[in-house]
Amino acid sequence: MIELRDVGVELGGATLLRGVSLAVPAGARLGVIGPAAAGKSVLVKVMAGLIPPTTGRLIIDGTDVTGWSEEKLAPVRARIGMLFQNYALYDFLDVAGNVGFPLAQRGLAADALGPRVLERLRAVGLAGSEFKQPSQLSGGMKKRAGIARATIAAPELVLYDEPTAGLDPVTTSKVYDLLRADHDASGATAVAVSSDVAGLVTFVTDVVFVYRGQLAYQGPAATLADAPDPLVRQFVSGALDGPLEA
Amino acid sequence: MIGERTLTLLGARAIAVTREVGGIALMTGQVLRALLPPRLDGRELVRNLHRMGNRSLPIVALTAFFAGGLMVVQSAPFVKRLGATSLAGWAAGYAVLREIGPILIGLMFSGRVGANNTAELGTMTVTEQLDGLRALAIDPIRYLIVPRVLAMLIMLTALTIIGDLVALVGAAVVAYLVLDIDWRTMYFSFADNLTPHDFFHGVYKSVAFGAAIALTSCYFGVTVKGGAVGVGRAVNAAVVAAAVSIMLLDFFITYATA
Ligand SMILES: Nc1ncnc2c1ncn2[C@@H]1O[C@H](COP(=O)(O)OP(=O)(O)O)[C@@H](O)[C@H]1O
Ligand SMILES: [Mg+2]
Repeated sequence: MIELRDVGVELGGATLLRGVSLAVPAGARLGVIGPAAAGKSVLVKVMAGLIPPTTGRLIIDGTDVTGWSEEKLAPVRARIGMLFQNYALYDFLDVAGNVGFPLAQRGLAADALGPRVLERLRAVGLAGSEFKQPSQLSGGMKKRAGIARATIAAPELVLYDEPTAGLDPVTTSKVYDLLRADHDASGATAVAVSSDVAGLVTFVTDVVFVYRGQLAYQGPAATLADAPDPLVRQFVSGALDGPLEA
Repeated sequence: MIGERTLTLLGARAIAVTREVGGIALMTGQVLRALLPPRLDGRELVRNLHRMGNRSLPIVALTAFFAGGLMVVQSAPFVKRLGATSLAGWAAGYAVLREIGPILIGLMFSGRVGANNTAELGTMTVTEQLDGLRALAIDPIRYLIVPRVLAMLIMLTALTIIGDLVALVGAAVVAYLVLDIDWRTMYFSFADNLTPHDFFHGVYKSVAFGAAIALTSCYFGVTVKGGAVGVGRAVNAAVVAAAVSIMLLDFFITYATA
């Protein structure tokens, strides 16, 4: 589905990613973990085609899209949904407007749009909040509105940047239940960034560990705790002693 | 002797300013390209015009009225001493139409509308709304920036024209109250001594100021880094940059047309 080959990203004189190679087959569910500011968000933005790789290639469904213009990327992006870490809910639209935006943008008529927006809002537990402004939502509600928007156009690949950050444990479980149910039903490929390893592994099958812009581990979620890299083991166990630097 | 530290600081500052000027020039190019051909969201333009006009009309009217009056008060001692009441309107009108009007209204507009625009776009940037648009194959320049730039350009020009009228009224009212000059005298003082050229000189300036305020406020908005604190910093930088641009543009336009 999506493949990064030896990708490096430099922005504003800083190296944000280095030598990242990674392939996500269609239908797979990949978790991205790592300490703060490691480059997790940059990594998913590269996958979404929002940050161009400085070096290396980005391949989507066998097509090398590296260096494509925004116009040329449009049909590629139409197949990708994304939840942004900071929600990216448009404050010039209400909740229903935000959730329906990807479809409205494709010219879907208002009467066909309404039921689909309602279905999504119900799925994420936001029915009744259609006409609220994003500023009136709590953090958890914003996340769920963002998930609804990311998935409404039935994308083949969904990128979730921190779907549960800042949520209480119960809401976190609900979000992962939702993601599991969604992807079981749609079969869409998923990439989810999270610092909450325990929750994340209930959803994903494979994990990459990002550390200082590099992939320090790639492997099945099940064997994460026994990873050969002491960095990963320390991160997963939460131990204070170890090679991990803040 | 200038210390090495001072030089280093000066150099760093110069590089930063150069980068910002370059960034603004780049954005100007992107806005111009988005206008050719002008595929533009008319509704968004009208919405912005309405918002910006409503927000700034009261403060512009107030500023203009007192600016006009102030010019009369300043010239009052000379007018009285020379008994040249027929020149009171000319003095006030000339200064207001050519300089005081466009500059003061531009600065007010920058503080009110420009600062607000930077804060709005800055908040949208830190909450990743611009990336969100790009992810849906929408060009944020065309969708968000162009309508705002056009609205600010049109609105500042319109406000300057309205402000000119209000300022002349202000001048006449103050002349009547303070100098006891009747309305007719003021009217003919304006009509006989001021030329359309004086008026248009100010209008051209307001177009240039509008472009400067629009482009700087948008640029500092979309380049915000570092969350809410960054938004505050950007607003500050945008207002300063707009004020400096207004002064520089004013000097060069006046110089080039003198
Ligand atoms: N657009 C950008 N320009 C410059 N630096 C950036 C940009 N985006 C992120 N960074 C930097 O890249 C590093 C990794 O950021 P990010 O991917 O957001 O971290 P995280 O792993 O917490 O998601 C951080 O140091 C951040 O400051
Ligand atoms: Mg992040």
